[in-house]
Amino acid sequence: MSLFTRTTRELSVRIDEFFDTIDIGILIFKEGVKAYVKGDHDAFQNHLNRIDELEGRADKLQRSIENDMIVHSILPQQRSEVVKLLWQLDEIIDTAKKSLNEFYVEMPHIPASLVNDFISLAEVSGNAAEELLPAARAFFREPHLIREKLIKVYFFERETDKAAFQMKKKVFHEMDDLSLAEKAHIRYITHHIENISDSAQAAADLLASMAIRQML
Amino acid sequence: MIFLFITSGLFLGWTLGANDAANVFGSAVGSRMVSFVRAAVIASVCVILGAVLQGAGASDTLGRLGSVNAMGGAFTVALAAGLTVYFMTRAGLPVSTTQAIVGAIIGWNFFTDNAVDTRALTQIVTTWITGPVLGALFAYGLYHIVKITRRRIKVHLLKYESYLRTGLLIAGAFGAYSLGANNIANVMGVFVPSIPLEDARFGFFTLTGAQQLFFLGAVAMAAGILTFSKKVMQTVGSNLLELSSEAAFVVVLSQALVLFIFSSTALSGIMMKIGLPPIPLVPVSSTQVVVGAVLGIGLYKGIRNINLKLLGNIASGWITTPVAAGLLSFFLLFFVKNLFGIDIGHTVKGASPPVEGPGTAVIVRYSIIILLVAVSAYLGYLVLAEKRRTEKMNKKYY
Repeated sequence: MSLFTRTTRELSVRIDEFFDTIDIGILIFKEGVKAYVKGDHDAFQNHLNRIDELEGRADKLQRSIENDMIVHSILPQQRSEVVKLLWQLDEIIDTAKKSLNEFYVEMPHIPASLVNDFISLAEVSGNAAEELLPAARAFFREPHLIREKLIKVYFFERETDKAAFQMKKKVFHEMDDLSLAEKAHIRYITHHIENISDSAQAAADLLASMAIRQML
Repeated sequence: MIFLFITSGLFLGWTLGANDAANVFGSAVGSRMVSFVRAAVIASVCVILGAVLQGAGASDTLGRLGSVNAMGGAFTVALAAGLTVYFMTRAGLPVSTTQAIVGAIIGWNFFTDNAVDTRALTQIVTTWITGPVLGALFAYGLYHIVKITRRRIKVHLLKYESYLRTGLLIAGAFGAYSLGANNIANVMGVFVPSIPLEDARFGFFTLTGAQQLFFLGAVAMAAGILTFSKKVMQTVGSNLLELSSEAAFVVVLSQALVLFIFSSTALSGIMMKIGLPPIPLVPVSSTQVVVGAVLGIGLYKGIRNINLKLLGNIASGWITTPVAAGLLSFFLLFFVKNLFGIDIGHTVKGASPPVEGPGTAVIVRYSIIILLVAVSAYLGYLVLAEKRRTEKMNKKYY
């Protein structure tokens, strides 16, 4: 029994650590986009290295949590849902890393008139993911609070869609000085940033259904 | 010779152990919260302890219904009950060992021309109804407490799960103890009047003749648990009752409490000491109490969650099982007596022994009081919940 308690304690610490890693990853992503569009390449490189490291750590933690849950038969009834939730959260940091990598590899040209738009798009998309984490933490401690915490995730996801739509409209309707290739490239990069809030929404949907089952 | 005659009782004990242990640990094992080996060992030890230490009360009540006064009769009665359970289970009909043994004893009463103690019979039958009702009430109340506690303590899910796991083991041990205490009467109760064994002294403790029989019956139950209950537990846990771990804990605890109440001489004594009527010590069907408890949880979650078919199944079992067991017992006794010439018992001259314990009126009175309190509490809760909901809505929109 003492072995089991120790495993449980260690596992709950590791789950919290996993959430912290995702949380920091999102902050780094927002800072990374900001650094790139402002042309601060050293800071961008630092953020890129940091998110790479965090993504690796999140993967490692996710695998070890899954492994211990199976080996020690922890949460047998909710295990598949918890594993799916961890996978969805890991997807967010994966998408954030991929996005920064796209900036690094493709080096998109960001016109000065779009700098603030990019920063605010990354901000709202990141906010959707950030607001997801308190809800995910609540699943383990206060499941009755999940639904009210998820409201903000859905709000920021809608805001992201709106911001991305406005930006794409601006690029294609108002910025005639850009070539079609540049416009298409910006749209592609915008889509990558949007993906973070979409992943957050998918995880929020899963959490909402988990909350209902917990409350029954 | 005694061992030959009690084989039918041992068979009944084995089937009871194989089937009813699933009511105690089924949901825990099926959901893989507790390993089968751990569950089986705990259940076996506790069933034996419960039967030996506390099995006398319910057995006395069965004895009042019909004191089977020959080993051949006791053998046939237990065999009839065992076969009824076996065939009805195979036919997929709702069946309970408790109801089967009562029907078989009544069959013996008819065959040997002994009067059926209607007061004891009504007491037993009333308890069959009270058992699932009490199970539902306990489950409703306990589930509410568990849910509120979970919300208040804000403990991490993994820690909460580990508490539940420990709780399931403790409640399961208590449930197995109560199962042994209450249901050993079904297994060995009929043999007690016909097999008078001498007291056995083991230094610091003594086992009466009845306790020795209960020990043998309980060992048979333990053998049933260890050899045949794994599949039943896994089926109960994963197919029939898909319960969350906290609901499983509540169901097991409710069942244990109900079985304990109907088998505890000490509790009955306390009731009498404080001026209340004693609790009837009657064997009740653990399966039906579990179904009652599951319905109680369904009631908590909302009236739409209640499976009325389950209620119908219980009620039909109250009639079909004793009738089938009674008829089978009657015919088996006829063959055993006339074909093999074995003594199956004789008519007891004079009036039936005076009945001790509470009458039907007392049980009905208790049931009505419990029901009234529960219904009032539920209505009060609904009114309060509605009031709170309206206040919340008002706050939100104005």
